[in-house]
Amino acid sequence: MEEEAREEPELPRSTAPKDFLFYHMDLYESEDRLPIFPEENTRMGREVAQAEMTTEPRAAAKCRVPGNILEEEDAIARLYGLEDDHELGEEFAGENAHGKDLSEFPPCVMRRREAAREQRDWRVGGEVAEAEDLSFGGWGSTDQCQNLREAYRYTRGRSSEEYECYVIPEEEDEEDAPTVFCVTCKTPVRACEKDLEEHQEHQVTPLEKALESAKDEVHKNMFKLEKQIIEMENFASHLEEVFITVEENFGRQEQNFESHYNEILETLAQKYERKIQVLGEKKREKLEALYGQLVSCGENLETCKELMETIEELCHEEKVDFIKDAVIMADRLGKFLKTKTDVDLSAQPDFEDQTLDFSDVEQLMDSINTIPVPSAPVINPQAPNSATGSSVRVCWSLYSDDTVESYQLAYRPVQDNSPREDQAEFTLTAKETYCSVTNLAPNTQYEFWVTARNRAGTSPASECAVYMTAPSPPIIKTMAIRSCEEAALISWDSGNLNPVDSYTVELTQAETPEASGVTESVVGIPTCEALIQLQPRQTYTLYVRALNVGGPSARSKPATIHTTGSYFHLNKDTCHPWLTISEDGFTVIRSERKTTAREPLPRCVAVRGNLIPVRGRHYWEVEVDERLDYTVGVAFEGIPKQEDLGTDRRSWCMRHTFASSRHKYEFLHNKMTPDIRITISPRRIGVLLDYENSKLSFFNVDISQHLYTFNCQLHHFVHPWFSLGKSGSLKIHNGISMPKHVAFY
Amino acid sequence: MALKQISSNKCFGGFQKVFEHDSVELSCKMRFGIYLPPKAETAKCPALYWLSGLSCTEQNFISKAGYHAAASEHGLVVVAPDTSPRGCNIKGEDESWDFGSGAGFYVDATEDPWKTNYRMYSYVTQELPQLINANFPVDPQLMSIFGHSMGGHGALICALKNPGKYKSVSAFSPICNPVLCPWGKKAFSGYLGSDQSKWKAYDATHLVTSYPGSQLDILIDQGKDDQFLSDGQLLPDNFIAACTEKKVPVVFRLQEGYDHSYYFIATFITDHIRHHAKYLNA
Repeated sequence: MEEEAREEPELPRSTAPKDFLFYHMDLYESEDRLPIFPEENTRMGREVAQAEMTTEPRAAAKCRVPGNILEEEDAIARLYGLEDDHELGEEFAGENAHGKDLSEFPPCVMRRREAAREQRDWRVGGEVAEAEDLSFGGWGSTDQCQNLREAYRYTRGRSSEEYECYVIPEEEDEEDAPTVFCVTCKTPVRACEKDLEEHQEHQVTPLEKALESAKDEVHKNMFKLEKQIIEMENFASHLEEVFITVEENFGRQEQNFESHYNEILETLAQKYERKIQVLGEKKREKLEALYGQLVSCGENLETCKELMETIEELCHEEKVDFIKDAVIMADRLGKFLKTKTDVDLSAQPDFEDQTLDFSDVEQLMDSINTIPVPSAPVINPQAPNSATGSSVRVCWSLYSDDTVESYQLAYRPVQDNSPREDQAEFTLTAKETYCSVTNLAPNTQYEFWVTARNRAGTSPASECAVYMTAPSPPIIKTMAIRSCEEAALISWDSGNLNPVDSYTVELTQAETPEASGVTESVVGIPTCEALIQLQPRQTYTLYVRALNVGGPSARSKPATIHTTGSYFHLNKDTCHPWLTISEDGFTVIRSERKTTAREPLPRCVAVRGNLIPVRGRHYWEVEVDERLDYTVGVAFEGIPKQEDLGTDRRSWCMRHTFASSRHKYEFLHNKMTPDIRITISPRRIGVLLDYENSKLSFFNVDISQHLYTFNCQLHHFVHPWFSLGKSGSLKIHNGISMPKHVAFY
Repeated sequence: MALKQISSNKCFGGFQKVFEHDSVELSCKMRFGIYLPPKAETAKCPALYWLSGLSCTEQNFISKAGYHAAASEHGLVVVAPDTSPRGCNIKGEDESWDFGSGAGFYVDATEDPWKTNYRMYSYVTQELPQLINANFPVDPQLMSIFGHSMGGHGALICALKNPGKYKSVSAFSPICNPVLCPWGKKAFSGYLGSDQSKWKAYDATHLVTSYPGSQLDILIDQGKDDQFLSDGQLLPDNFIAACTEKKVPVVFRLQEGYDHSYYFIATFITDHIRHHAKYLNA
């Protein structure tokens, strides 16, 4: 029965979209995800008011939930035939209780609203209206969501906790237990039973085998489910991201709308104020005019009345007086009548037609749906180590209120000698607030500026920022590498025309492949040369990087250094014109040719080796011909080449001359030599330079014979010298470990 | 072969001792000096044998050469035997300084009355090494030999007559070609008889010509102001010529201003000790 129960959950799961619904609920109800929406809590009052409005529906939802749970439990229990599994039911109840707790948490309500909105895309049609309803009718879909969520919880819970249930309980293994499985009827059958006859026509397999295949099937399904769970979880986290983005975008748009509406309202209010003021002024003006007219009218009337009265009085007077007064009166009257009485209305009572201009408001209204032109972005200074030899990563920022669709990044190389305008200008379009600009020249300064644009237009340009590409990798002079057991002196070409800030030497020990990668770095080297301390008898791979403000260059090509013995190259600059150095750099050849020298040539036909300037022990060997006239030794730096080796206090050497079949060996310093006879002519001479003990020793390498040791005060560094008195060749061997017998001297 | 300790003095962390024993080869009591370096307390050390010159006893070298510091540093046991049998009551044994007592010449005498006691060659190559190996912490595989004047001759012939027995050899002012010098002629005729062909078996210059060529690094120091050099007693040129001819490696250093004395030996003893240490401690 267990197997069948396991297969059942496949049925609801096959309606794939519904499964997603669960995730949203999960998202909103799990407490640990709350901090994803911190801005919710700081939202404007308007939304809080909305939140308060939801109290009622929420209460309704609360009432509904418990009923749902009970129904659900029953349904699920029936579905899986797990009536007795109270634990499961309790778990559901517990979860729902948890859900309820959360639903009393005001900020959550808004989230649910959002969720409801989001869900509408894959809601069944009838619920869309509800979901969109701002009164949070979307919450009404709780039933469905919870239903699915629980279904999911159930399957998921099982997949992780109840593996052991797939094993058929052993207790069924009784005497008359079924031993055969009828595939057709899908029921176990006892082999001995008469019932077997029923299944005669059916496909029958041993119970064990059936069990195995059933288990396989179960495991396969489990695997599928687990895979699906992972996919779902990924999808859920993706949704979360989308959710946050939507949050942000809409929040921004809301703010935008609000500011626009406020702006419009303000503009309208201003307009109203202005109009009212204009009207008031006009009214006052008119009334004042009319009043003035009225007053003057009254005055006239007064005067007329007075005149009438005076004339009436006059009529009652004596003739003499009448005549006398009548003349005066006639003058007065005449004068009065001459003054014109204005009876035209100075102000019209009606209202002059005033057109109301709402064009600006209309413009504002129009612009509600558009967005403001962004302000100039702020370009960031170059971040350290952000550049490569051919690219820089330019970053800038925008004002948070701006909506920007794209940025235009422009740049041109900075050159001191030519004016800015002459330089070609390049532009790039970027969606983000950064851009990696490639295909640039190394170790070069570029100035960058950026503009932001959206539908409404393009912002002013930002300030210019100068970015610098990283340098080109240096080139190690492999032919100039010198080393000894304790150190290496390496030099390199900058690889850049302009100066760089510094160099870094990276070294890895080749002997330890497990410690791959950089084991050591020497940083801040100001010149193109570095003396690196190393461990004896190891192999190192060295790289050099050049650095400037933009960052480090790529690695140079590697150089390999073996700290076995001392390693040096012959210095071609010191090479006498009669000598040539072989291609490998270690064989000195003097050939039999007469050169007609225009200028006096140095007497000493010699070449110098560039020994590393490190105090310690240095050993090298020279392969010679027994009949060759040669001189090998050391000399202080800057010895005049006019002098033969060993003729002054600045050099020490072993000189061999071969004349009339006799070998002569001299150990020369300051023109003096001990009287030493050697019975076997060395073919390979070992030279040990020991700064610590102030000694220079010579050996016959082939027979480990010590020939001579100078005690010499080496206050300065010396270099090996090799001289040929006759035509022939010397071969120098270095980078070899010091033979053991040499250690006794 | 009971050893009797005559003296013991601490020196450079080790001990300079003198022992006496009854020699079977020489049929007399013999003394030898032995320096045991500090290293000998914990490990077996190589043994370096010093053969002294005419008229010397075991005392000259151990008291005058100043080798102890170098031997202590390199961990070498240095054995210095006497130069001849003593007190054998042979007629004329003490008559001259260059024959008899103190002048054994490191040969096995074949002539009467010397042949019973004067078997210094066998003593220094056989009996003494066995005694040392048995009684002191030395590695029997690692031995070298050196000496002065007559001892230089002794060291050279011991090495040349026993290829491989000694890891290295060196000498101060050795008598290189005794068959041709007055000392050698006197001694060899006395000990070996008048048949000069027998002498060649104890002559370094002759031995070189038949040396089989086993690797042997020879270091020789010679004072330029050595009267015996100018007297023709030492004849190093003959030996060098033979070695050059036979390609036997020699570094011969003619030291300006030095004579035949132990002052000369003391000056260069460190070089010689190092020369042997190079092969014994390799």
